[in-house]
Amino acid sequence: MIQNKQFIPKLKCILITAVLLSINVKPVNAQLLLGDTLPDITFQNNTDSSINLSSFKGKVLLVDFWASWCAPCRKANKKLVDLHKDYSSENFEIVGISLDTDRTKWLKAIAKDKIEYTQLIDPHGFDAKSAIQFGVEALPSSYLFDTSGNLIAINPTDQEIKKQLNHNKQ
Amino acid sequence: MNLKIFLFTLTLILALSNAEAQISKAEIVATGLTCSMCSNAINKQLKSLTEVDSVIIDLNTNTFVVHLKKETNIDPGILKEKVEKAGFFIGSMIVTMSFENVEVADNIKIEKDGLSLVFVDTKTKVLNGEAKAKIMDKGFVTKKEFKKLSKSLSKYPTYTSDNDGAYHVKVM
Repeated sequence: MIQNKQFIPKLKCILITAVLLSINVKPVNAQLLLGDTLPDITFQNNTDSSINLSSFKGKVLLVDFWASWCAPCRKANKKLVDLHKDYSSENFEIVGISLDTDRTKWLKAIAKDKIEYTQLIDPHGFDAKSAIQFGVEALPSSYLFDTSGNLIAINPTDQEIKKQLNHNKQ
Repeated sequence: MNLKIFLFTLTLILALSNAEAQISKAEIVATGLTCSMCSNAINKQLKSLTEVDSVIIDLNTNTFVVHLKKETNIDPGILKEKVEKAGFFIGSMIVTMSFENVEVADNIKIEKDGLSLVFVDTKTKVLNGEAKAKIMDKGFVTKKEFKKLSKSLSKYPTYTSDNDGAYHVKVM
């Protein structure tokens, strides 16, 4: 009887803790927010090497999600190619992450768009882990990180990117 | 002669009572101001329906292929609502339905599982097994196509009347 009396408050305590814990569980649908750090994800590039995103820390980095079948992305690629040429001498890097499921189409698109910056692939469409981790809901989507790997802008304009690069020069 | 009519009516009644028109698949082309495949919104909206088993995106034809769970009935209007909720419009919707010896003919109406189907531009034939039908109604085709269809399908009195609840379908 005495044992039972002691057991009930313990049970209550366990239940309350369980409820509190369940409230604290973070939503599964992660999404990068401004100020978040560059995710530590490894991808295959277009020459079959493994590349980790975090290896770009120390540079201003633009991560661009795209796909060969996405017409607005292909249009944006042209701009990015120019931006990369203009600022390649700066401490700036562009990384394209394709959500193409068809590797051949991806490689063809890289060649056709004459992309020279780093090209990685997560071949699972919008279900790709990296797309979920970044919170990509539409293509193209781009993410600008500063030299310490903090996210400073989502879908930045050319102006915003250039401003960041000029800011770093000073 | 009378016997012929009697037999014909009998087959028709039998066919009508056996009409199975459960939709197993819907192939949707969406239109809008932006690239419909470049947004995850339609995919998400369609997947949120309990009747939907899977959504496969065919990038060659820009089509959302919606596979529906067995033993469920879905009204194509619900699929349309979801696409519109995602901020797009239906460009075309072709549904795959299973039929069990259903005789269809031009301007014939069948009712099954809460759906009324009026067959347009359809030659008399018996449907048995799976058949594909394109929904011709307003909101299920592009605005431009609807304008054309309201002329070419004007011989079907129910076509342009809005609230009769029947879907006008053309067997593919």
